[in-house]
Amino acid sequence: MEQRTEARREQLMGRLRGLYESLGYTRFSMRRFEEYALYLENKSFLKSESVLTFTNPDGKLMALKPDVTLSIVKHARKEREGVEKVYYKESVYRLAPTAREFVEIDQMGVESLGAIDSYAVSEVLRLAIESLRAVGGEYVLDVSHMGFASGLMEAAGLTAEQKERLFTLIRQKNAHELALAIAEEKIAPFYADRIAKLAGLSGTFPETLIRAEQLAVSDEMEQALGELRALYTLLTAVGLADCLQLDFSMLNDLSYYNGIVFQGYVQGSPRVVLSGGRYDLLMRRFGKEGDAIGFALYLDELTRVLADRGAWDADVLALYHSTDDLAKVNASVFAFVAQGLRVFATSTRPKDFHAAKVMAFDGETFKEVP
Amino acid sequence: MLNIALPKGRLGDKVYKLFSACGYDCSVMETDDRRLVLSDEGGKVQYLLVKPSDVAIYVEHGAADVGVVGKDVLLEGGNDVYELLDLGFGVCRMCVAAPVGFRADLSAPLRVATKYPAITKRYYAGKSREIEIIKLNGSIELAPILGLSDVIVDIVETGTTLKQNNLEVIETILPISARLIANKAAMRFKASNVNPLLAALQAKATEGEKA
Repeated sequence: MEQRTEARREQLMGRLRGLYESLGYTRFSMRRFEEYALYLENKSFLKSESVLTFTNPDGKLMALKPDVTLSIVKHARKEREGVEKVYYKESVYRLAPTAREFVEIDQMGVESLGAIDSYAVSEVLRLAIESLRAVGGEYVLDVSHMGFASGLMEAAGLTAEQKERLFTLIRQKNAHELALAIAEEKIAPFYADRIAKLAGLSGTFPETLIRAEQLAVSDEMEQALGELRALYTLLTAVGLADCLQLDFSMLNDLSYYNGIVFQGYVQGSPRVVLSGGRYDLLMRRFGKEGDAIGFALYLDELTRVLADRGAWDADVLALYHSTDDLAKVNASVFAFVAQGLRVFATSTRPKDFHAAKVMAFDGETFKEVP
Repeated sequence: MLNIALPKGRLGDKVYKLFSACGYDCSVMETDDRRLVLSDEGGKVQYLLVKPSDVAIYVEHGAADVGVVGKDVLLEGGNDVYELLDLGFGVCRMCVAAPVGFRADLSAPLRVATKYPAITKRYYAGKSREIEIIKLNGSIELAPILGLSDVIVDIVETGTTLKQNNLEVIETILPISARLIANKAAMRFKASNVNPLLAALQAKATEGEKA
């Protein structure tokens, strides 16, 4: 069972690597360690704050990397012309979500740095969708735009602390406590009503967009909606809009993310499996020219999903006799493989073997047997 | 099919009554059955009866799509779930209580006995007060009486137990009540099941306010 999951994971990673490379993304490899200071200064960018540290022989505090994006941006060239496209497949070290213990996690991701135009955004979004699709089964990509909520709070003149308080509640879709917090912060009714609606502002793309339009009060918000509308139109035109949902309660950290943000879910996994967005502000922080957008796929969250996908040892168990015409057997077996099926050919039926179909050779071809 | 995690016991019974009034009834629940997984014949809903402190864990890991849990448990567990609705019952307060006439010695760390170490730590960190936490699993009121701790952090409903043990509330940390929570992926893949339940419960809540 374990082995099968591992094989599926390898298969998935291979497909994704092929996908990213065919669009000109080059592999980015990095050192296992970074100075701890990098993560300390950018704590709120990390998925979890716990970092595995050690002291190197020079007495410097080092960390086993909990994240790849920070390293890519840190080591990126300062100036660039056009756009730079990279992907990575790295191990990262994080606290396991359930136990207080560090685990090594495989992570794959894509980053596009430099001159990010609408095409570049749509390409990364499409790669995110294709990555989810490659996992198999049903999937959803939630999309939002940081400029919408942030523009609304900016217009209402809120402080950073007030924003953070409201953001936390909006993320939890916690409408009742959000209403209390808004009352406590004494926000003007004109804005209060609009902010209160953010927690529940999610659903299918076109319908949610119409509801959002009624809340827009500033240019920043209009611009955010404009970008979302354009993205939806483009992805509809290429037939990928079915899996899209709009969710304005999804908010990343304001000090790194601006623009489009997104999160992916696949059926069978209870948590987010893919997360990404536009992080121009991170580039600024490191003094790099240009903008950036990217995403990471959390392969650890997919373990259970991959284990559940088709619990067969093979699609076809192909039984032959040693007296059969083996050239014909050979040809038929490889014909199955050419159809994309997994075949286990043998002359003695193995015990405890689960195949979708059991087929026996009748002298000419394989026929299904019970 | 919607999987609903309910806390076993008094709160669970109350929640079931509310859900059943919203059309999520399940006849097996009404018989005195010892089973822990109960589904209705129509296949619309399945109830899981779990320990109150485990409800959020079932929901976070997707074993249940939605659940009902006290805000105290939710804050203590810090589970990554959506908190969709305040159901308005199981109302009480998370409080700091001390023996009547207690005066804090500000030069020493405060010794706090509690079932809720995470909430306690966060509360006192916010006040920059150094504390020593004594984690207990029940009969918290006993701790200050025996000198095991200076104060306790616990939920207070009527205050009778406190009074009987010569304790009083000195600070209120926050109000507590039962909350409807949902798994994040369930909100995507089962939205057509979760949203009607949420709407029905919301309607009931506003009805209750008007009455």
